[in-house]
Amino acid sequence: MSTETDLLDFARGPALEAALIILVFGMFWRLVGVLVLRRPRDLSEPRVRHAWLEGIRTIFTRMWPRREFRPRILHWEAVSYVFHFSLALVILGLVPHILLIRDITGLSWPGLPTGVITFATGVALISLLALLAHRATHPVLRRISNFDDYFSWLLVFTPLLTGLMAYYHLGGRYEDLLAVHMLSAELLLAWLPFSKLAHTVLFLFSRSVTGTIYSRRGAQT
Amino acid sequence: MTSIDTQFPLELNQSRLSIQKPEPRYDKQGEMADTERLDRAMRGFVKEFGATAALYMESCVHCGQCAEVCQYYVQTGDPRYTPIWKLEPFKQAYKREAGPFSFFFRLFNLKRRVTVQALEEWQELIYDSCTQCGRCTMVCPMGIDIASLVGLARHGMAAAGLVPHELWATVERAKREGSPLGTTPAVLKDRIAWLEDEHNVEIPLDRERADVLMTISSIEVMKYPQSIVALAKIMKRMGASWTFRSDGYEATNFSMFAGDQQGQREASLKLIEAAIAVGARMLILPECGHAYQALRWQGANFYGKPLPFQVLQIAEYLAEGIRQGKLQLQPVRNSATFHDPCQIVRRGGVTEAPREVLRALGVELREMDAHGAYNWCCGGGGGVVTIHRADPLRYKTYQIKMQQVEDTGAEMLVSTCSNCRQTFDDGQAHFHGDKTAQSLLELVADHLVTEQE
Amino acid sequence: MEDTILDAFRKNGLSRRAFLKFCAATASLLALPPAAAAAMAEKLASAPRPTVIYLSYQECTGCLESMTRSFSPTIEHLLFNNISLAFNDTLQAAAGEAAEAARKEAMRKAWGKYILIVDGAVPMGAGGAYCVAAGQSAVDDLRHAAQGAAAIIAVGTCAAFGGVPYAAPNPTGAVPVSEVVRDRPIINVSGCPPIPEVMTGVVVYYLSFGMPALDRQGRPLTFYGNTIHDRCYRRPFYDEGRFAHTFDDEGARNGWCLYELGCKGPVTYNACATLKWNQGTSFPIQSGHGCLGCSEPDFWDKGGFYRPLPAATGHWPRGEVLGGAALGGAVVGVGAAALARSRQQASAAKGAKEVNSLPPKEDSHEH
Repeated sequence: MSTETDLLDFARGPALEAALIILVFGMFWRLVGVLVLRRPRDLSEPRVRHAWLEGIRTIFTRMWPRREFRPRILHWEAVSYVFHFSLALVILGLVPHILLIRDITGLSWPGLPTGVITFATGVALISLLALLAHRATHPVLRRISNFDDYFSWLLVFTPLLTGLMAYYHLGGRYEDLLAVHMLSAELLLAWLPFSKLAHTVLFLFSRSVTGTIYSRRGAQT
Repeated sequence: MTSIDTQFPLELNQSRLSIQKPEPRYDKQGEMADTERLDRAMRGFVKEFGATAALYMESCVHCGQCAEVCQYYVQTGDPRYTPIWKLEPFKQAYKREAGPFSFFFRLFNLKRRVTVQALEEWQELIYDSCTQCGRCTMVCPMGIDIASLVGLARHGMAAAGLVPHELWATVERAKREGSPLGTTPAVLKDRIAWLEDEHNVEIPLDRERADVLMTISSIEVMKYPQSIVALAKIMKRMGASWTFRSDGYEATNFSMFAGDQQGQREASLKLIEAAIAVGARMLILPECGHAYQALRWQGANFYGKPLPFQVLQIAEYLAEGIRQGKLQLQPVRNSATFHDPCQIVRRGGVTEAPREVLRALGVELREMDAHGAYNWCCGGGGGVVTIHRADPLRYKTYQIKMQQVEDTGAEMLVSTCSNCRQTFDDGQAHFHGDKTAQSLLELVADHLVTEQE
Repeated sequence: MEDTILDAFRKNGLSRRAFLKFCAATASLLALPPAAAAAMAEKLASAPRPTVIYLSYQECTGCLESMTRSFSPTIEHLLFNNISLAFNDTLQAAAGEAAEAARKEAMRKAWGKYILIVDGAVPMGAGGAYCVAAGQSAVDDLRHAAQGAAAIIAVGTCAAFGGVPYAAPNPTGAVPVSEVVRDRPIINVSGCPPIPEVMTGVVVYYLSFGMPALDRQGRPLTFYGNTIHDRCYRRPFYDEGRFAHTFDDEGARNGWCLYELGCKGPVTYNACATLKWNQGTSFPIQSGHGCLGCSEPDFWDKGGFYRPLPAATGHWPRGEVLGGAALGGAVVGVGAAALARSRQQASAAKGAKEVNSLPPKEDSHEH
C-alpha cells in the first residue's frame, strides 16, 4: 500500500544499504587496483633512513601552503578550507547525522547546537558557490575542469541545501524533504569512489608517497 | 682542437652552447606511419604506469595550484602551461589502459583516445615549457610529483620519435660520439693536455686505479674549461687519488631529458663501469644538475644493484673537504646570492652543502626570497635551453630569476650547475644585464689559501 | 416522524443552548469558520437521527475504549447516546441470534443510508477463517454491510491501514478496510487508538456537511493535516539541538526533545500535540516518551520505536555485508591491476622486438 513515507522508507532502507555497499566496494576496488600495480624497488642509496616516517608527516605538512607560494594561492586555499571545515562540522556535528553514524558503526560523540550547524551550512553553501564561480571563470580551471568536477560539486551542494530545507521544513512535506536529502547524500556516497571525491582517502597515500620519496633523497617534502 | 663533426654544427660563439638552429624543422624522428608512432607512444606511456604513477594519476583534484607556481604560467598567463595539463595525453592513456576502471573508460569512452595530433600539439607542453624543475610538486596539495610524471611522459614521446629537433640531435650525437656537444674522448684528451700545459696543473686521465672517479660535463669542457683546472687544484689540495677516464667521463645525460631510456642507461652505465674498473670508492659529479638526478638517484636502478661506490656532487665534496680542514680558504669579501639548481637542491637533496661552502668562503650570503627548495628555476634545464623555438618563452621565464637576483642587491651570483650558468649567460646577454653566474667550484679553487711549499 | 439529534438531546435533558454550544465547540474543533457552527446546528436539528452500525473485526477494542472513556458525561458520550447506534457488539446488552437479527433489521430499514463504523483489520488468509462471527467471515460480512452504507468510517489504524495484525509477518493476511471495500466513500480515522474528539468531530462533520477533505491516506485533513512535530511544544529544543539521550538523563528530566530516543513526531500526522488525550491532559511526548507514529501505516515495521529517524531501517548485518563489499572491491581491484600489468608486459615485449630497444628489464624506476 502506498504511504506518505514510501520515499523515506526507501531512502532509509535499501537505498542506504546500496549506497554504503557501493562506497566500500568502489573504494577498495580503486585503491587496491592502484596499489597492486608494479612497484619496483629503488636501489639508490638513501640519504635518509626510515623515510616513510617523514612520508606520514607529509600528510600534515601539505595541509597548508608554503610561505613562498602563498601570495598566489592563499585566498582560494582559504575559501576551500572554509568549505571543508564547515562541511565537516555539519556532517559530524549534527545530532541526526551522529545518530546515523552510530547506527552504522557504533561510534558516537556529542553533537553541536543546531544553530551552529545552520550557520556552518550557510557558510558551506556560500563558499561552494564562490568556488564554483572561481572554477567557471579562472582560465586555468576552465582548461582543466571536466564533468567530474562539476557533477561532484553538485552532489556535495545538494545534500547541504536539502538538509537545510528538511530541517526547517521548507518547500514540501517533511517526509519528502528528508527522503530527498538522504537520497542525495546516498548518491554522493555512491559517486565518491569513482570520482575526484575519492581524494578524501587518496590524499593519505599520494602525500605520503611523495614525502617518502623526497625524504629519502634528503630533500624538502 | 680536433675537428668537430659538422652534421650538427655547434654554435660556439653564442653565449650559450648549443646545436645550431636548423633550417627546415623536423620535430618528428624517424619515418613511420602515424598509427605506428601513436602505438609506440602509447606503449611507452603504458610501460610507466606503476603503483606510484597510477596513484598520482588518480589523485588530481583539478585545483589549479600547480599553475600558480609554474614559471611558464605565471609569466604568460597561458593556461596550457598548467603543469598537470601538460600530462593530459599521459593521463588519458593511463585511465584507458591501466587504471582500475580502465575497462569502463574504454567501453564508454569516458576519456578520449590519444591521437598523434594531440601528441604533436603536446610536444611543446612536454618539452618546451617544462624544465622538470619540480615547483609544481612542492605546491600540490595532493602531493603529486608532477615533474617526475613529465619525465615519464617523455619516455613515450621519445619512443614515438616526437622529441624537439635540437634536443634529439644532441641525444643522437651523445650516443654516437660519447658527448652531446662533440667532446669525444679524443677531444677530451686534447683539452686536458692543453689545460695541463697552460695552467701547470696535473689532470690525471685513464689511470688504472684511483679512489675517486672524476666526471665532467661537455658544457664545461667546451665552454668553461677553467673548471677542470679548478678541479685539479682542489683534488691536489685534498691529496686524493683521482682520475678522469676516457671510457666514462660524460656526466650529462641528454637522453634523460629527451626520454630515451635506452640512451640514458647507456650513458649511466659508462660512468658506473668506469668507476668499477678503476676500483673507485667515490664518483664525483660535476657542476651539472641533471647529472645528479641521473646517476645519484636513477643510476643504481639501471645498474640493477646498489652502486658499489659513493656518488657526490662536487659541492658536497667541497663541503666535506672544508669540514675536514683540508680546504683552507681566503675570504671573499663580497655579498653573494646563491641560485639553487633545481635538480641538485629541490629534487636532489643537496641544500646545505653549497651554503656551507659559501659560509667558509666568508661571503655575505643574501638569500633570494624564494630560495632552497622553493627557488625559481633558471628556465634552461630539462633540455629547454637547447630548443631554439623555446627561446622567447625562456626569456620570459628568465625575467623572474633576473628580478630575484636584483632584489637581493648582492654583488655576486653563484651557482653550481653549468647548464644554469650558460642559461644565465644567455639571459644576461639578451637583457643586457651585468651579473652572470659564477661557479662555486671555481670560486673555491680561486680562493684556496696558497700553500707554502 | 423520527427524532432528530436535537430531539434526542432534549429528551436527555439538555437545553437547546447546550446543543448550540456543542455545535460551536465541534465546529471550532474542526477549524471551521463561525458560520459553520450555525449550519451544523441547523442540519443536526432538522435531519433525522442517523443509523450507525458499528462492526468490529481484528481489533483489540482499544478504539472503542478510547471513544467511550468518560468519568463524567462527556460530549462524546452524549453524541453516541444520541445517534441511533443500532449495533455495537461491545456496548450492546444483547448477544447471540437476537443481536444479529436486530442488526439485520436495522440495516434493512436504513439500507443505503446508514453510517458504517468499522474498527479492526480484516484477515483474508485461509478464506477469511481467522475471524468468524455468527458463521460469517469478517470479509464477507464487511462486503455485505458496506453495500448498504452511505459512508464508512474506518476507526483506528487497524481498520485504516492494517495496524497490528498487518505487521510483519502478517500471518492472517490482514488487510485494511479500504482494500476490501472499494466502491464506497471511506474516511480513515487512524491512530492506535484515535483521539476521542477526533472521532466525534469526524462523525459530526459527516452528518453536517458530508465527506470532509481527505489527505492521500484518506484521513480528514482537519485532524491529520499537520505532523506532531509541527505542533509539538518541545519543538524549540529540537531547533536548538537539545536532545535527551536516555530516558532519565538531564535532558529527559528537563523535557528536551525526544528525537534521539526514537520519536517519530516529524513523520506522524495526527492531532495529539494540540488536542492531546484525556480531555487535554497530556500526550506521549509530554509524558516523556517519543511518538510511536501510531496513526501512520506500517508503524510497527519502521525499524523500531527507539531507533531514531535517521537510523537505517534495514536489519542487514552491517559488518558482514560491508566486509564482503570491501573484499569484493579488493578482488576486482586486483583483477584490474593484473589486467593492466599483463597489458604492460605485452606492450613491453612488443617494444623489445623493435629496433634500438634492449629488453627493458631495468629502467629508471623513476616511479
